[in-house]
Amino acid sequence: MRHLVLRLAAAARTAVIAFAAAGALAGAAAAQADDFPNKPIRFVTPYPPGGSHSLHAGIITTAAERHFGQPLISVIRDGGGGVVGTTEVAQSEPDGYTLLFGDPTINSLRPQVENLPFTTDSFVPVARINYAPAIFVVRSDGPFKTMDEMIAWAKEHPGELIYSSDNKNGWTYTVFELLKARTGANMRGVEFGGGGPAVSQLLGGNTMAYAGDISVVGEHIQSGSLIPLCVTDHQSMEALPDVPACPDIGYDVVFQFWRGVLAPAGTPKEIVAKLSDSFEKLMADEGFQRLIRTINSTIAFADHEEFARLWAKEIEDMKLIAQQTAK
Amino acid sequence: MVENILSAFALLLDPIVFVAAIGGLVAGIMVGALPGLTATMAVAVLSPFTFFMDTMVGLPFLLGTYKGAIYGGSIPAILINTPGTAAAAATAADGNAMARAGKARLALQISLVASIIADLLATLVLIAVAAPLAAIAIRFGAPEFALLYVIALTLIAAVSGEDTIKGLIAATIGIAISLIGLDPMSGYQRFTFGSVQLVAGISLVPLLIGMFAISEIIVNAEESISGRRKGDAIDPNQGPRLTLARLKRLMPTILRSTGIGTGLGSLPGLGAEISCWISWGVAKRRSKNPEQFGRGSEEGVAAAEAGNNAVCPAALIPMLVFGIPGDTVTAVLLGAFMAQGLMPGPLLFTRDPVILYALFAFLLVSNVLLLMLGFAAIRYLQRIIQIPNGLLYPVVTVFCFAGAYAVNNNIYDIVVMMAGGIAGYVMRKISMPIPPLIIGLLLAPGLERSLRQSLVMSNGSLDIFVTRPGALTLVVLFAGFIAFLVWRTVRPYTQSTVTGETTS
Repeated sequence: MRHLVLRLAAAARTAVIAFAAAGALAGAAAAQADDFPNKPIRFVTPYPPGGSHSLHAGIITTAAERHFGQPLISVIRDGGGGVVGTTEVAQSEPDGYTLLFGDPTINSLRPQVENLPFTTDSFVPVARINYAPAIFVVRSDGPFKTMDEMIAWAKEHPGELIYSSDNKNGWTYTVFELLKARTGANMRGVEFGGGGPAVSQLLGGNTMAYAGDISVVGEHIQSGSLIPLCVTDHQSMEALPDVPACPDIGYDVVFQFWRGVLAPAGTPKEIVAKLSDSFEKLMADEGFQRLIRTINSTIAFADHEEFARLWAKEIEDMKLIAQQTAK
Repeated sequence: MVENILSAFALLLDPIVFVAAIGGLVAGIMVGALPGLTATMAVAVLSPFTFFMDTMVGLPFLLGTYKGAIYGGSIPAILINTPGTAAAAATAADGNAMARAGKARLALQISLVASIIADLLATLVLIAVAAPLAAIAIRFGAPEFALLYVIALTLIAAVSGEDTIKGLIAATIGIAISLIGLDPMSGYQRFTFGSVQLVAGISLVPLLIGMFAISEIIVNAEESISGRRKGDAIDPNQGPRLTLARLKRLMPTILRSTGIGTGLGSLPGLGAEISCWISWGVAKRRSKNPEQFGRGSEEGVAAAEAGNNAVCPAALIPMLVFGIPGDTVTAVLLGAFMAQGLMPGPLLFTRDPVILYALFAFLLVSNVLLLMLGFAAIRYLQRIIQIPNGLLYPVVTVFCFAGAYAVNNNIYDIVVMMAGGIAGYVMRKISMPIPPLIIGLLLAPGLERSLRQSLVMSNGSLDIFVTRPGALTLVVLFAGFIAFLVWRTVRPYTQSTVTGETTS
């Protein structure tokens, strides 16, 4: 009972801080690097609640205050497949008090292939939290059980292999476009808008393949209803040691879906470095690590300099994908 | 299984569970009752706090909030004709008409009891047949969904009132509004005129608050200025109560709506917002007094409320069995389950049976708690109707602005709400019904998405709607249904022709 009361008291305190923060944010003041941060920081997730992004954001913002000296306020601004929240951050004051929780589709690929209100230059990288490869999966009662068999089947039956996709220029969409470009197989994707509906259409027998995050397909692999073919990374995943990396079995399909923090372009370098350090300390926090494990996720931290290098390379890679898929 | 259930009940005996559940229910009812604050938002804001709580404290708290919020939406719908949530929009039509006739208490009681009976039965369905039901639901592909949406669109006729043409015009406007934003398949921008705000589309909740609440406030202001305002409301304590005899008469409606809500809830994607209208429309068609619907029908309130509350437990079915959330609330709940180390999906039932059965038992018990809280609250809530309009409506207006803004923390949504308010006022003046517009807005995106997905799957051929067993069944049922309606409409004319000949 006392335990609960304490927890509720802590929750109430956080709520009060959050309301005070909302007020404080209204009166914007020029930020100085040395006293940064002197007010709460808005942490914007551009996707709807319940997805893996908002789940990570919830954990990051709950555990952050001790390492930042100010609370991080989780702001969920979904809409337009991530465009609305991302645009809002891109157009906000570059003072380090508004951060975006981004990923490769909204930050690297889509600005290059769509006409959006922001570009890859609208942001500076702050820290990468982790990344995950996509896992290609097929139904265990389907006509093929390996990648070779699937590609052979697709070539024998051109246009008949229907796979579940997420969104145009989304994660699943991109890895399948890569696979099709590398193999020349003719397969058709149906966009279902997200991992949940996409995998349920596969399980229900309405489609034949899918590629997605372990949080979406892991349980179904374990229960035996889905068979993993390969992962879109340079090596196998720790959680699925028996599933080969796609390049190892002859399919050069590599795409790492990172989750990372970005700030609007023009944010002072010292503030970006300071934020990056605070995220690094947060990653070492035991409570944070425990919560990340409970959602079956991992940590693969990269500070602002390393993240900047990785991101620049990825933007180049995406340029290739954009050219390959623009048919 | 029996010992699992016994140890599950042992987990429930901890008084902390009840404290958490009551806290969640009260918070949920308040959130649901305030226009603009939705169940999704309440659960999303509260769920990070439960990460640190015990499983049997955190999850009952969140489930209580969810249930409370879905029920709470009906309170302002009945008392001030302002649905607290989108799922209570169908309740407003009859509930508020009853309240104006001095039957506020009866309407609130019907809404509470219908909600609880529906929730209880749907929970039993969840416990007994979750796995087989989910196995059927998951076979529903895009073609079946497309047909389901088409069948649901026939509801526009039921909610159009006297003037079907005006109803169809309203529905078309609703469909047109739903097209604004990103194309669901290709991601192209439609009717956005270069505006970043329009890329996200027109938000449903602010528009709904405008159409129902703001237009109601404008109409009230106009009536009091022009002195056409009717006298003060009748003292609700004098009004009728819910008796067993009344409840017995309503039971067929409640059971039918529960069936509809449970079926729709177990299909991913069709939520309480749609179920309440379908239940209401079906109840009207089956009723002996369809002309009373929309004018204070007790059946109407019972149908709408049973229809939206049955969705709650049913929506947990795909989430628990496959780890696939059916709507945004269950998507947030899925995250909370995972943060507790409970991974929803095919292995949950064998891996954590005790916790799972404890949560099932909790879902049943929480209905008893909601019943007690509800009856206690109604004693005070019914007095809201006695507050003078000059005091009540300014307060409601403030809540509307706060609620519309809170949906996305976006000033632009207040513009949407005001535009919706003016449009709603004009529609009332020219007696164009508002519900068809809302139904068009709710159903069109799903219909477009599933129709286009079907056609991608079939490479553009319409065969897909008759070559799949599920889809064919729906087509046959739909054709039979239309044939029945035509026959029922035509029959009186043919008979009267016959009698006309004999008398002349």
